[in-house]
Amino acid sequence: MKRTVTILLIVLILIVIGALIGYRMYTNKVPNYADQTPDLTVSTTELADAFNKDTAIASKRFMDKIVRVTGLVKSLDSSAVVLGDEGSLSDIVVGLDDRNLKGIQHLKAGDTAMLQGKFSGYSKASGDDLLASLGATIKIDYAGLKDRKTLTTIKK
Amino acid sequence: MLKRNLIVILALLLTSVSFAQGKYYTKTGKISFYSKAPLEEIEGKNKTVTAVLDSKSGAMQFAVEMKGFEFQKQLMQQHFNENYVESDKYPKGEFKGAIVNNSEINYSKDGTYTAKVKGKLTIHGVTKDVESTGTLKINGGKIDAASTFNVLMSDYNIKIPAIVKDKVSNNIKITVDCDLEPLKG
Repeated sequence: MKRTVTILLIVLILIVIGALIGYRMYTNKVPNYADQTPDLTVSTTELADAFNKDTAIASKRFMDKIVRVTGLVKSLDSSAVVLGDEGSLSDIVVGLDDRNLKGIQHLKAGDTAMLQGKFSGYSKASGDDLLASLGATIKIDYAGLKDRKTLTTIKK
Repeated sequence: MLKRNLIVILALLLTSVSFAQGKYYTKTGKISFYSKAPLEEIEGKNKTVTAVLDSKSGAMQFAVEMKGFEFQKQLMQQHFNENYVESDKYPKGEFKGAIVNNSEINYSKDGTYTAKVKGKLTIHGVTKDVESTGTLKINGGKIDAASTFNVLMSDYNIKIPAIVKDKVSNNIKITVDCDLEPLKG
């Protein structure tokens, strides 16, 4: 009798622990990639060059990695920033994590920004495809702003 | 002098016409999807959508990285990429189509226009015909293109595991919102 109670108690405890682990896994939030240690740190020029040189190798190197990228802000809206060198046909498009939107409130086109997020893909259309006129696009999502330099501070 | 002025005026006119009839684009368009089921609501947002609209022909195209969809819960992010859309195998989603009533839209006049869009949507390696109605808000040479439509996961061969069948709806509402700017060059 005592043994049965003990076994039942152990089973019950295991069920509770299992349920707690399951609940925790289920409700776990996506980590804020902008706060983690980056896998790769690059400039927009280095990033664009890597893909221009060999798309397959670069895709393998960057895919799913946390990338910290620094470069010129070409344009932006409330939840995404386009980085890239002036005159370059390659854009690095960075989508901000909802939790990090406040960080880019004061960012302007012409600033230099350091952003960090998860690499999500590269695309370059060719031929008579409508998208071919847009050049190459490298995408980073779940991002946040790490640092910025405004145009005026650079000029000083 | 008069001849020169005339040439300048003509050149200016031509530029404005070519702008009004050119291509519009964005690389930071927004697409989100939403699924409501008895147990849970699932929402994914993508903020880095590439879109082009050729105002002359009405042709339009959207491209999205499936891995760029943002979720709040880690498990949802994982299930979406690994089980549902299999984003390693099918990394991109794409829409290629056209505004069928393009002649009714005056791109050089500010206003809100209804656009009927028809085309082919590719998700999870499956291409299907889709039709939707959206709005084009033209304001100072820029276009805010918005549309909402529904797709069935089963149409795109996306299987819902039996264990979560009650939690995940087969019907997904997709919302598109893109601020398009004139494409120079």
